[in-house]
Amino acid sequence: MAIIDLININYCYGAGTPFEKQALRNVSLSVAPGDYIGIIGHTGSGKSTLIRHFNGLLRPNSGHVLINGKDIWAKPSLIRSIRFQIGLVFQYPETQIFEDTVAADVSYGPRNMGLSKEGIDLRVHDALQFVGLDDSYLGRNPFRLSGGEMRRVAIAGVIAMKPQALILDEPTAGLDPEGRHMILEQIERFRRESGTAVILVSHSMEDIAEHAKHVIVLDQGRIALSGTTTAIFNQAEQLVHLGLDIPQITKVLLELKKKGYPVNTGATTIDDAEQEIMHLFEKGG
Amino acid sequence: MPRDITVGQFLPGHSIMHRLDPRTKIVLTFFFIIQVFISKSAISLSFLIALLGVFIACSQVSPGKVFKGVRPMIPVIIFTAVLNIFYGSGDPVLSFSIFHITKQGLFTGFTLMVRLTALIAGCSLITYTTSLNTLAAGLEQLLSPFKRFHLKVGELSMTIAITLRFLPTLADEFDRIIDAQKARGAEFGSGNFIKRIKSYFPVILPLFMSAFRRAFELTNAIECRCYRGGEGRTKMSVLRLSKTDVGAILLFLLAFSLTIIFNVLFPFQY
Repeated sequence: MAIIDLININYCYGAGTPFEKQALRNVSLSVAPGDYIGIIGHTGSGKSTLIRHFNGLLRPNSGHVLINGKDIWAKPSLIRSIRFQIGLVFQYPETQIFEDTVAADVSYGPRNMGLSKEGIDLRVHDALQFVGLDDSYLGRNPFRLSGGEMRRVAIAGVIAMKPQALILDEPTAGLDPEGRHMILEQIERFRRESGTAVILVSHSMEDIAEHAKHVIVLDQGRIALSGTTTAIFNQAEQLVHLGLDIPQITKVLLELKKKGYPVNTGATTIDDAEQEIMHLFEKGG
Repeated sequence: MPRDITVGQFLPGHSIMHRLDPRTKIVLTFFFIIQVFISKSAISLSFLIALLGVFIACSQVSPGKVFKGVRPMIPVIIFTAVLNIFYGSGDPVLSFSIFHITKQGLFTGFTLMVRLTALIAGCSLITYTTSLNTLAAGLEQLLSPFKRFHLKVGELSMTIAITLRFLPTLADEFDRIIDAQKARGAEFGSGNFIKRIKSYFPVILPLFMSAFRRAFELTNAIECRCYRGGEGRTKMSVLRLSKTDVGAILLFLLAFSLTIIFNVLFPFQY
């Protein structure tokens, strides 16, 4: 059964004012356990509005949000329990850190869940493990850590709630290539080992191509395209038309194909693309 | 996230009010406030309302918008009015135990309500029709005579401009952090008083951190543009009084003296 089901979601900011803006139009999608979904779309396409619907931060004007088959707005007073099931990591999450030790900050979510002391400690330890920080970080001041480390502490703060789905809004924004790579690898490992569904919102087509299995393209609050990563990035023209880019490797392969070389443009990782090109050499040579 | 703050919001336009010099607007707003305070009788109050109507027409801001700015202040206005109904002596209309509602009290309460509404509506017009930069420039010019008394006018107006500029930014940030902590199961506004205050720590602390971070970044950015305080700085657009300004000042003086004449001719009495 799907973890998250959105059915015909419509959302409008500032209804009834001159600043009224329809942010989402008839959005429907479904997220199953273990999924890795990438959401792309240019600025203002409704990505941030959409992810705020997954855990009930925003209530749709019409349509239904189902978590494990239950409408989360059937009982609005219980909305808080949804937030523990669907983890949401915002852009620049390190700005939400407020405690004076890493352990205290990561445990904020689990403490809100009302877990026992032992339960909390275990979750904090596990969550930090997932983001590659050992127990020596527990007592450290989060504000003295590097930017990348702070980011990982903040992500651990959400992972510690053991959500069934983890949603990340631009988790690699502003990090160096090594930091980006590390965070994405850790998220991928977390998904594989825990079976948690991951939804990644990103402007980096390379990140999406390399990790996501399924891609959803938003445009003006609508789902413009939805399909497997390979299928989406093969529609280069359409993506460019929507103000988006395609991964560099896809660009190279598409150019080669245009020149008449027999390549498969469906490669999503650099390794695959390399092999594809090496094949070409072998055949040609 | 769009918020429901309308006071202090600039609505670009080309009305007479928009084109006035900011100094004119600041001074006239000041006199308008005085006028609100001296308008006590029914006749001068009616005149005040008519005047406000003219201002709103000159600003081309919709009246609905102007009074929307008053809305957040309604509790305060009502509280003040009700307090005044019970306060003061005169002919009792209703009385129970130690409370007496007098005719005079009712009148004072009602007029106070009208005056406060007019006051806020009138003052909101200046922010609707003047961009913050212009307002700060006008304020700086008006305060410049005080330089003689070692008042750092340039710095002061810069501080005001920066404060006003960053209010909406911090409001956005506040919303964002609230959402982030809610996503971690934070609950606001439930439990006892201490618990409620405590529940806001996870929001207030990051907000402070970010305000400081922004301040340091801004300091660097300003220094990189060689800003060294107001000393000897010249303006790119120098403020000049136009014919419209002179006209507005003359008309306002006329209205102001009319109010005084009303007050003299029809002295205020219950």
